Amino acid sequence: MAGRWQWFHRLGSPKWFYEKTTRWLPWLVGAMALFLTVGIVWALLFLPPDYQQGHTSRILVVHVAVAGTSLSFFPLMAVAGTVTLVWRMKLADMVARNAAPLGAWFTFLTLATGSIWGSVSWGTWWEWTDSRLVSMLFQFFLLLGVISLRSAIENAETAARACALLSIVGCINVVIIKYSVDWWNTLHQPSSPISMEVGSPNGPEFWVATAVMIVAVYLFLAVSLILTTRNEIIQRENKAQWVRELVAQAR
Amino acid sequence: MNSPGNGAINRSGNSAINRAGAGAAFLATLKRDLLISVKRRNDILNPFMFFIIVVSLFPIGISPESAMLRQIAAGVVWIAVLLASMLSMDSLYRSDYEDGSLEQLLLSAQPLYLLVFAKNIAHWLVSGLPVILASPLLAYMLALPAEGYATLVLSLLLGTPVVGMLGSIAVALTVGLGSRGLILAVITVPMSVPVLIFGTLAVQNALAGGSPAGYLALLGAMLAASVGLAPVATAAALRITLN
Repeated sequence: MAGRWQWFHRLGSPKWFYEKTTRWLPWLVGAMALFLTVGIVWALLFLPPDYQQGHTSRILVVHVAVAGTSLSFFPLMAVAGTVTLVWRMKLADMVARNAAPLGAWFTFLTLATGSIWGSVSWGTWWEWTDSRLVSMLFQFFLLLGVISLRSAIENAETAARACALLSIVGCINVVIIKYSVDWWNTLHQPSSPISMEVGSPNGPEFWVATAVMIVAVYLFLAVSLILTTRNEIIQRENKAQWVRELVAQAR
Repeated sequence: MNSPGNGAINRSGNSAINRAGAGAAFLATLKRDLLISVKRRNDILNPFMFFIIVVSLFPIGISPESAMLRQIAAGVVWIAVLLASMLSMDSLYRSDYEDGSLEQLLLSAQPLYLLVFAKNIAHWLVSGLPVILASPLLAYMLALPAEGYATLVLSLLLGTPVVGMLGSIAVALTVGLGSRGLILAVITVPMSVPVLIFGTLAVQNALAGGSPAGYLALLGAMLAASVGLAPVATAAALRITLN
């Protein structure tokens, strides 16, 4: 039993995380740079203009990738929150804490790229009849709620556990909000089925570029989360022996 | 102020006595909260007056034409109810926190979610119910067609407890914080959106001649889910924030 769970408890150790990510980071950053470059160059230069939307369809490559990623923040924070509440693992809370502002930024970017695309394709910057815009807006509000709850509670331990609970409740609610807003009204194009045929509206050249971009954005998310968490580890553990040695080395 | 006492006495008793104690503690908490609200009338009156004032602003701000008003009546009443319940929520655990009786609840031998549930019911009875009772009158002033009244009141009866119990989680998370007004709104408003959607859809459907039963059933499902889950989450939140 002890052997099987050892990895889990090691994972909770900030020092272990810091050392591992020092080794992983160059690879992750390299992969992110590669995917990001390929995705953006492909979308901007080589993707043929859509037969209806023209050049604006290029925005969609970024928009779909960012939107897909921003949906994963509440599940991520809810899982981290559960670990915080059940095992009181410091590392999980550090990840959750840094995920909230990142998630707010990603949600904001989703809304921004969505309205820029909408301003051309639909002729309007904001459309209440589009259910995805509206549910994204409320996800944005909920993320702001988590962030402001964190900053309002002074005791770090209490803030961690309160935010963990709110993330779990919020995760359930985001799903309910999404479906109820869908029910409420929708003019959004339903997700279009992808097609294998080159030259068709959703042909491979479009969805492969989007897939590359999705991988790129997820890697970007992983790198940002790891970097901010490492910063926080150094800040919170500044009295630990290994952090002092690290600082001494850096000098 | 001695409400959880019934339960505390039974701490060393066997489970059968405890089960009886849980019911007694539930009733005692309910009675105590109702009594306090009756004695502190402003806490009931303020949200009620706020509700009426908010509704009266819409005809002035949008249009006094009854053709326009009848279209927005249900939505206006629902939004005003949500805003009023947000106002009344602020006082939900405040005085209990300040005089220390909230900590007594936490120390009680009875399950905390049951006592929290009792407080939620008491709060709804004094802040939600009066607003619902006044809603047909205000809906009439907003020229809501006759087919809409029953559905509006039913949707409010099913929906406002959900909002209250969801808000109770947010209040429990922010109990003891000085400036929590905006945090409460930012957390509670998105969570109330589904209730607002199905509440207004039910009325619109009734006005269009359809049956609102489906939307009311969804509201009922939300109510059942919140009765089961929200007090547990509120109890967990209170244990976190009060340590």
